[in-house]
Amino acid sequence: MVNDKNSQKIVDIIQNFARKHSLFVLAYGTGCGAIEIPPTMTSRYDAERFGIRGAATPRQADVLLITGYLTTKTLKRVIRVYEQMQDPKYVIGFGSCTINGGMYWDSYNTIKVLDKYLPVDIYINGCMPRPEAVIEGFIKLQKKIAEGRADGAKQYKENFEWYRANQKKVLGPTTPHIQEYNW
Amino acid sequence: MEEIKNKIYQRLTEAFPEITEHKLDFPYNRLDVKIPKNKVPAILFYLKDEMGFKHLVHITCVDWIEEEKFELIFIVWSPKEKVKVFVRTELDRNNPVMDNIDMIWRQANTYERELREMFGIQFEGLVAPKEFILEDWDDIPPMRRDFDTEAYAKKRFFERPGREDAKDVRQTIAERTGESLPDFAKKYSR
Repeated sequence: MVNDKNSQKIVDIIQNFARKHSLFVLAYGTGCGAIEIPPTMTSRYDAERFGIRGAATPRQADVLLITGYLTTKTLKRVIRVYEQMQDPKYVIGFGSCTINGGMYWDSYNTIKVLDKYLPVDIYINGCMPRPEAVIEGFIKLQKKIAEGRADGAKQYKENFEWYRANQKKVLGPTTPHIQEYNW
Repeated sequence: MEEIKNKIYQRLTEAFPEITEHKLDFPYNRLDVKIPKNKVPAILFYLKDEMGFKHLVHITCVDWIEEEKFELIFIVWSPKEKVKVFVRTELDRNNPVMDNIDMIWRQANTYERELREMFGIQFEGLVAPKEFILEDWDDIPPMRRDFDTEAYAKKRFFERPGREDAKDVRQTIAERTGESLPDFAKKYSR
């Protein structure tokens, strides 16, 4: 029954509906933006009413928040974390630093354009984005998921060599090896 | 406070006649002395054991590129007298070698590792892992003044091109959507 085209469409709609209402965010703060997450999660802004909540390990998480600047040293860990996460997975670039470098535009150890290294589904601009902006970004992501357009993980698999070449340009010989994480 | 500072300075000059420069007119509770680099461990030992300067606040470095010198500054603090002493010393910029002092204060080890990585100052006999914060660094130490951080960032990282018109962002959006700018926005736009 699932091979039938129309049935698959219905299954997709139900799947996407379920996915968009349970976004588990990996509790991993890469930069100063992580300070905006506690007010977003706690009682005043209460992101859990949208189904957004924390997850302890990469294997349990759906969303990877890149909160603020990303040093080359952290990028290595972030790539490992992203590759460990199970499908479906989404990346949110958070703050100006992930978009064009922000105030670290001439820094010697922070990357400037995140989407060259990881597939980014949503960017939230601002330095820092307020919790309202964070929640708006998440709602945009939910819309994208519901329409089936949040296909960052698919992009990463298809263009893996391009991403890996970009990562190698920055990380050099210590780029993480390709590993089979989905076990 | 001036009396205490003068007293400390007199004791130091009696024990170490090598002190070349000093500043007593530093604001409030600071006293500044300059000494050749081979006498630095001795003066730090003396300050710690004889005069009660128990706490090492910081070890920092200034790059005097025009004079081909590195200036190392050891800041020590006495909780009893409430005075900070700045012990300054000069190193040759082309061959910056310094004695290791982490047998006096263990925490000096961390500062020395940082100076080794950020300024390239070699501490003789320092036992520590090779890397501190940076990983796989392959250029000159980044805190030296002849390191061009902007050129390095341009060479190494991708850049996102800006908007070509370089106008006020509100103007661009208004033109794109066919709206006119509200008056309050005109006031602040270029």
